[in-house]
Amino acid sequence: MEIVVLIKPVPEAETRLRPDRGGAELDPAGVKFVLAGYDESAVEQALLLKESAPGTTIRAVSLGPLARSEEVLRAALALGVDHATSVEEPPGVAHDPVQVARMLAFVVSRYSYSLLLGGKQSGDEGSGCVPSAVAEFLGVPDFGSVTDLKWDPIAGRFTFRQSLERTVLSVEAPPPVMIGLQQAWNDPRTAKLPMILRSRKAPIDRVPRAEVEALLARHPRPAVRAVSFRLPPPRMGARMIEYSSPQDAARKLVRLLTEEAKVL
Amino acid sequence: MESSRGSLVAESLEALPLARSLAGPSGEVLGVAPGPIPEAEAARVPADRIRVIDPAAPPGASTAGAAFSLVEAAQDSNASLVLVVGSARGRELAGRVAARWDAGLATGVTEIRPGTQGWTVVRPVFGGRATQELALEGRKAVVALRPHAFSPGSAPSTPPVIEHRAAPTLPPLATGGGVSAEAPVEAGSGPSLAAASIVVSGGRGLRSAENFHLVEELARSLGAAVGASRAVTDAGWRPASYQVGQTGQSVSPQLYVAVGISGAIQHLTGMMSSRVIVAINSDAQAPIFRVSDYGIAGDLFAILPALTEEIRRVRGGPSAPASR
Ligand SMILES: Cc1cc2nc3c(=O)[nH]c(=O)nc-3n(C[C@H](O)[C@H](O)[C@H](O)COP(=O)(O)OP(=O)(O)OC[C@H]3O[C@@H](n4cnc5c(N)ncnc54)[C@H](O)[C@@H]3O)c2cc1C
Repeated sequence: MEIVVLIKPVPEAETRLRPDRGGAELDPAGVKFVLAGYDESAVEQALLLKESAPGTTIRAVSLGPLARSEEVLRAALALGVDHATSVEEPPGVAHDPVQVARMLAFVVSRYSYSLLLGGKQSGDEGSGCVPSAVAEFLGVPDFGSVTDLKWDPIAGRFTFRQSLERTVLSVEAPPPVMIGLQQAWNDPRTAKLPMILRSRKAPIDRVPRAEVEALLARHPRPAVRAVSFRLPPPRMGARMIEYSSPQDAARKLVRLLTEEAKVL
Repeated sequence: MESSRGSLVAESLEALPLARSLAGPSGEVLGVAPGPIPEAEAARVPADRIRVIDPAAPPGASTAGAAFSLVEAAQDSNASLVLVVGSARGRELAGRVAARWDAGLATGVTEIRPGTQGWTVVRPVFGGRATQELALEGRKAVVALRPHAFSPGSAPSTPPVIEHRAAPTLPPLATGGGVSAEAPVEAGSGPSLAAASIVVSGGRGLRSAENFHLVEELARSLGAAVGASRAVTDAGWRPASYQVGQTGQSVSPQLYVAVGISGAIQHLTGMMSSRVIVAINSDAQAPIFRVSDYGIAGDLFAILPALTEEIRRVRGGPSAPASR
């Protein structure tokens, strides 16, 4: 089986978010971009499938500013991914999921694959619409919010569960499919030192910026422009309820939620 | 619009009054139903027309077919904006529709207004730790709305005109998949996490699986969905589907109640965009209080039963699910 995993470099969870000088974007100064969240689970799931289906190869593809995407690709290589492709992102398209998907589909279509894997949404902007847009461009079916992804070699199908808001579906789909992963079978593994060292020297196939720029030039679109990036007004901290007994606390809370917050 | 088992889901109704106000008095609102819906339901939809796609795609089909129908509807009506319910499938659908229709795209949107060109939208990012404002500068845009960010409207004075369209026949390669089993989420235990307007979550402070029913009883009294921190799902007190946070579900209910949860950043990432947050924790210094609106510092084993009792008292017995 050939698997292509799409991974996005995102700020690590502990990052202190703040707007840049213009106020339109996250200030990237001092931010470490990593493989995280659902994308990290997608890599883990690819490795698990490879372990259960010998002969499987995995290629990770990452779009972003070169230094960032190659960082997450090295992380994926250190975990056991076989090949890596970095796609250098042209300026001004980061917030347009359609152009992002167009570039990814363009690159992915060079490879043969029976499974396209990604996180169900990215760990930063969390749009959750890139996998399906990639699938639309490639003409393959897509399924999001997926757990328990397995390959059934006898039936020649993937089986998985899709956790939607009101129902959990057990689905079977023949290859090729695009999967937006919610959860791997287990927590993502951590890389071992020898692999980390080896990954530093592993080759990464590069798609030069000129190539994707030419693609975008053939499909010009009105811009998706970042206007502002704001932090919510600092929550003042909870209004602590003073009470004389649990019943008193309950009465006061219910009154506040009903009369002040109006959520009951 | 989105439906589940032949009925429109409640969030569908949140998109329509918004569409109405954005369209203005001379604009037209076309609702697209992904399968036949009961007549009484259609009458409640504040749209000029409803296009029913017939037959409905089988459950478990990829969104390719729905995207095809939606783009067709957008083209037929020369639409400038397609609003989509921001459910898990809704966001997938939005991606396909925007790619196919070559339109601007934003998901998880909590505000939208006409911009100088196109539309300006606001959406929470980083799990609600920041908000991003984007200008979609083209004439066409696809916007998936964050559930519960907009109020459902009232029924229109004149019911919409219903029209029918045949579902497309796409090559199997493009649609793929078939469902082998379908199970309602947590049958009988109230609304599901992502769709609920109230969520009550429990953490390690509950101490054991046997105590978790305290959280569930409070949830039942509120008609709320039940969530948990990862400490709880890791310990196996409740299944992973309960987990709220960075590696679990993202929720944005009207009310989120965190019980015995410390407030680790990975948990906050999944619930910070909730409208009102209540925390109950014995440690008055717990980080969860910093992001909450109301706090009770105290022993959950004393507070929870009293709170459940009080809610039952004011509401008059266990109430119906609050998922709108
Ligand atoms: C990569 C990664 C991803 C993660 N993803 C998630 C995620 O998606 N979701 C998630 O939740 N976590 C996630 N975590 C774990 C997270 O860091 C925390 O460990 C977890 O949220 C802690 O759960 P908790 O608040 O229930 O437990 P604790 O942090 O142990 O807090 C228990 C709280 O209960 C209170 N308490 C104890 N007894 C009582 C009592 N009698 N009455 C009232 N209060 C009491 C304590 O004061 C304490 O504040 C992730 C961690 C990592 C590293």
